[in-house]
Amino acid sequence: MQLSAGQITTFLLSISIMLFLAKVLGEIFTKLKQPAIVGEIIAGILLGPTVFGMISPDIFQWLFPQHGVIKIALDSFTTIAVILLLLISGLDVDLSIVLSQGKKAISTSFMGLVVPFVLGFAVSYFFPQLMGIGEDGSKFVFALFMGTALSISALPVIAKTLMDLNIFKTRLGFIIIAAAMLNDLFGWLIFSIILGMMGTNTHGFTFEQTLFLTITFVLLVLSIGKKIINKIIPLIQTKISFPGGILNFILILGFLGAAFTEFIGIHAIFGAFIVGIAIGDSVHLKENTRQIIHQFVSNIFAPLFFVSIGLRVNFIANFDIVIVLTILVLAFAGKVIGCGFGAYWSGLNKNESLVVGFGMNSRGAMEIILGILALQAGLIHEEVFVGLVIMALFTSISSAPLMSYFLKEKDKTKFKHLLQERFVLFTNESEKENVITRLVEIAAKEVKIDKGVILKEVLLREKNLATGIANYLALPHAKIKIKEPFVAIAINKCGVNFDAADGLQCKIIILLLTPENNNEIQLQLLAEIAGRFKDKEEVEKLLLLQNPNEFCEALKQLS
Amino acid sequence: MFSKIGLAISFSPTGKALVKESVRLQHVFNSRLVLIHIGERNSESEELLFNTIDEAGADRNNLEIIWGEGDPATAIIKAGKESGIDLLVAGALEKEKMLKFYFGSVARKIMREFPASSLILKSPSLEPVPFKKFFITADYSPRCEKTIRTAFQFALKENADEFTIIRDFYIPGLTAAIGENRTYDELSALIDQMKYEEEEKMRLFINELNLKGLEIKIVCVYGKEGWEDSNYARTNEADIFAVTGPEKRLKFLDRLFPHDIEYSLETLPANLLIIK
Repeated sequence: MQLSAGQITTFLLSISIMLFLAKVLGEIFTKLKQPAIVGEIIAGILLGPTVFGMISPDIFQWLFPQHGVIKIALDSFTTIAVILLLLISGLDVDLSIVLSQGKKAISTSFMGLVVPFVLGFAVSYFFPQLMGIGEDGSKFVFALFMGTALSISALPVIAKTLMDLNIFKTRLGFIIIAAAMLNDLFGWLIFSIILGMMGTNTHGFTFEQTLFLTITFVLLVLSIGKKIINKIIPLIQTKISFPGGILNFILILGFLGAAFTEFIGIHAIFGAFIVGIAIGDSVHLKENTRQIIHQFVSNIFAPLFFVSIGLRVNFIANFDIVIVLTILVLAFAGKVIGCGFGAYWSGLNKNESLVVGFGMNSRGAMEIILGILALQAGLIHEEVFVGLVIMALFTSISSAPLMSYFLKEKDKTKFKHLLQERFVLFTNESEKENVITRLVEIAAKEVKIDKGVILKEVLLREKNLATGIANYLALPHAKIKIKEPFVAIAINKCGVNFDAADGLQCKIIILLLTPENNNEIQLQLLAEIAGRFKDKEEVEKLLLLQNPNEFCEALKQLS
Repeated sequence: MFSKIGLAISFSPTGKALVKESVRLQHVFNSRLVLIHIGERNSESEELLFNTIDEAGADRNNLEIIWGEGDPATAIIKAGKESGIDLLVAGALEKEKMLKFYFGSVARKIMREFPASSLILKSPSLEPVPFKKFFITADYSPRCEKTIRTAFQFALKENADEFTIIRDFYIPGLTAAIGENRTYDELSALIDQMKYEEEEKMRLFINELNLKGLEIKIVCVYGKEGWEDSNYARTNEADIFAVTGPEKRLKFLDRLFPHDIEYSLETLPANLLIIK
């Protein structure tokens, strides 16, 4: 069978339209601070049977035929797209982070897998009518799938949310990202095994043989394979033209891994995902290589794949409110309770645990990929698929605001929240010891610790190394037995010598007290305060202010 | 700072050089020296050991010898613990073979499990000289504070020329997080900004330690934690690369998915000082 010139024209035209609309809507949603995938799926819905197919069925059938060679060509394209999506998803997985994060990441991930899985399985198995499923023999495999579908998470969306909330480099951010990585690995493994159980392979392997081959493949690729890849990558990056050589190598390995897992009876995507992990683990893989392959897949293949979803399914005709609500409730309950409890169990407090729970709740592209593969394999019907897509989008969009709400508590340790007008003094001392003593007096009353104890620590630190920074700022500080950091400020009319780096006399003296045995919080606050005083002109404007309230507000505005 | 130095010694070609290096360190720290040899004690082995000591120019009366038997790594660790050694010196194969990598080796086990600090000499010399270039990997934890302080005292005693603190950090999923709409230049700018912030934080951290007598250089590198810092020390030809000993006992999985100190244990970037 060969494509005629007319069919090639239609095929290219349909791809161009898909890419164009996906990019336009993707960009609009990005500007609205929402994931591009939402726009890309809406592009598919607009182009598919839901909207365009209803308005102009003939042109729709001509552009996006549901049968024949053009359909096969489009399907092949989207199969490659989904393999590449999983390959780049694997590149981002770093299992060493899971190990370095230890118990917190493991218990969060474990509970984030088990609780949604049990919930999804139990509801689908014992109340199949809620999912529009009859009491037939297939409900066991269906229930297994629903358990897996609810336990998976979407690393790219989670990573982006952490970055938007500026908690990427924090302990909490690392726990979430590590737990999501482990979640993904086991989620895809379980899903592949379910596909194996369905006996979809055409190469005559039994389920046991498929299982054995799958586990052997994972172990070999992630041990010896990973070491060999790590040796080859620097050679390719230096000896073969960049970035062509390394991109070629990554794609070859990805497709080989995909071919192998397809051959043994589990889906091709799993092989690409595992190979992606092995490649991404290499210490030699340059950050710009990751960036180039991400751009290549995210701008060309991912939009085509997500648009193709809308082309396959009529989202209005297959919308079932009971199924959608059931899936949404199960998704939220499973992840938030599971991950939240896992995090709490490992030692995080209630608010931090809820942040972890809502952070891990994003399902994004991974859920949609899982759903479409299950739909193709006949594991689920279209109503459930629509429910999964809506759940994936809703969980991704709601994650950041919900996390942000519970992060407020954590924000209390930020400088702007510690800044209170009742702890701001206007003084006129000529010796730094006197200014410090005035500030310590306020601190002692507030933190309920003897004034002498605090003063001794602050002066000792001052004696070791003077705390004058620059631009009229001095930052006397100490670590004492308190639970929360404390800040008091003196605006001293005449300058006092704190040996500042720029030689200026200090006029704004900020006393910072932090809990002992917490270097991180002290450093964070010192860096934040010093950062606010980097513009001399702005600081001079501060010095003109006459009352504490104005001073605090103006200081909060400095960045 | 190190009152009792132990040397794990075998009859290997580097034995004499190791004794010489240990004797030099004994003088630097004004400490006692203990030689630990695992193997059958008979007249022949005694003679061999004494010859090594004599050829290295060490004073037999100024050192203690412990003979042990059984699994070498376990016996060395046990002897070290019992005799109160606070710095164990050992020589190491620079690179581990694939099979040993997965199933362990004597040096590896000692490095991981010895409860006190250890110094693994990459290529001990028959004419040992003071270590001049110290590179220390650190974060902001109290354990790292101890590592920096100990390494700094060591560097002062050696009259070192260079003392560099390396802060390495990595953000998994960064490429995915910045999405498809940013250019590589924007990604680089973001990493540079984070490196600047980390460097500033480390500078504040070091200021708090009030270390005087040697200029401290601070470097921040982005990449796989544990690998980037050791690679930086390697390419800058460090004499000593100091790391904080792992909090928990490292297991098979840590070797399979290396992180932090594991990279240094896998391929020594320089003489490795593990502070515990």
